[in-house]
Amino acid sequence: MASPLEQFRIEPIVPITVGEFDLSFTNSSLWMMASVAAVYGFVMAGTMRPAMVPGRLQSLVELAFEFVSDLVRENAGKEAMRYFPAVFSLFMFILAGNTLGMVPGAFTFTSHIIVTFFMAICVWLGVTFLGFWLHGAKFLGFFVPHGAPKIMLPLLVPIEIMSYCVRPISLSVRLFVNMMAGHTMLKVFAGFIIALGIFGVGPLAVTVALTGFEFVVAFLQAYIFTVLTCLYLHDAIHMH
Amino acid sequence: MQWASLAAALSTLLFAAAAVAAEVTGGEAEHGSGGLPQLDASRYPSQIFWLVVSFALLYWLLSRRALPRVTDILEARQDRIAADLDRAAKLREEAAETQRRYEAMVAEAQERARTMLRSAQERMAADYARRQAQLDAELRERIARAERELAEATDRALAGLEDAAAEVVQAAVAKLAGVAVDREEARAVVARIAAEHRP
Repeated sequence: MASPLEQFRIEPIVPITVGEFDLSFTNSSLWMMASVAAVYGFVMAGTMRPAMVPGRLQSLVELAFEFVSDLVRENAGKEAMRYFPAVFSLFMFILAGNTLGMVPGAFTFTSHIIVTFFMAICVWLGVTFLGFWLHGAKFLGFFVPHGAPKIMLPLLVPIEIMSYCVRPISLSVRLFVNMMAGHTMLKVFAGFIIALGIFGVGPLAVTVALTGFEFVVAFLQAYIFTVLTCLYLHDAIHMH
Repeated sequence: MQWASLAAALSTLLFAAAAVAAEVTGGEAEHGSGGLPQLDASRYPSQIFWLVVSFALLYWLLSRRALPRVTDILEARQDRIAADLDRAAKLREEAAETQRRYEAMVAEAQERARTMLRSAQERMAADYARRQAQLDAELRERIARAERELAEATDRALAGLEDAAAEVVQAAVAKLAGVAVDREEARAVVARIAAEHRP
């Protein structure tokens, strides 16, 4: 029987090598593209025949649109609506990656630390860049807590800077660990079903429950990643 | 767009890091299935590359083509709702205007009816008074005429009585004294006596 970690194996489909880099089109790449197609297809299909009173699919698209736009407005403020397309893409991309990963036999690209970490570091760098671009050197004031006694500052400022720098790690590890742990658990319990014969009903029930739970996690982790991105955007724009 | 350029710059940086990591852990990667696939650094460049490609593609597709369509739909609905609300407000305004005009009309009609009623009442009262006065005058005249006639009749009766008295006096004097009294003389005497006895 395959190891529970088998599902995370990256299998090249079209080997591509550029210089000394292996840029092969892999199962991970395939599901990233599938997510892109799913999200783009979803929005395009929902807006194919725009109706004043939306049908089911159009309602879903509008729901997703307004869900993310409310998220941005409430957590990052009106000014951040400029970055709404990026945040919407991010949310839908992660959500599609997480949920498509629930298809049996599919590959969950968000269960790889390098993918989540790269997304997180892009968000973090982008937001930091934005902060300095909007506020110049004054953005450094972000690391000085308001109303703290002056004597405490030598202690507080390094802590603030450290907590700021840990952000991409916590952001990426949270998503990666959730996706990986959930899928591993599913595989472990699913493996017990065959091994236990007739008593496999027990693990089967657990697997069914875990599958439902995994769908919640798939949505929740995409949501958390997006909300935190919005909050970091808020920090960059408003500095407090 | 700054995001995209930033991501591109970053990906080259991470590729370099991944290459170094792959160099270091290269031997381990050769073993294949052993260990966590997530820690196989030799696969990092491919994942990062395709992540950048797919996310850039998604961002471009969504921001250029898909999201404007959603925005258009939402704006069209917003506009429609606003326009409908506008029209509803206008219609309500018109209805209120009509109501006001109607009420003004009713009030005017009522006022006119009241005026007409009042003038009719006044006219009738005036008519009544005039006819009353006319009747009164007529009655008074008739009463006066009747009184006058009565007085005349009385006078005539009294005059007749004096004549009769004079004839009686004439006849009595002729019978008693055998003297023929002139009719005018007898009347004068009677008139004198009657005047003495009249109150």
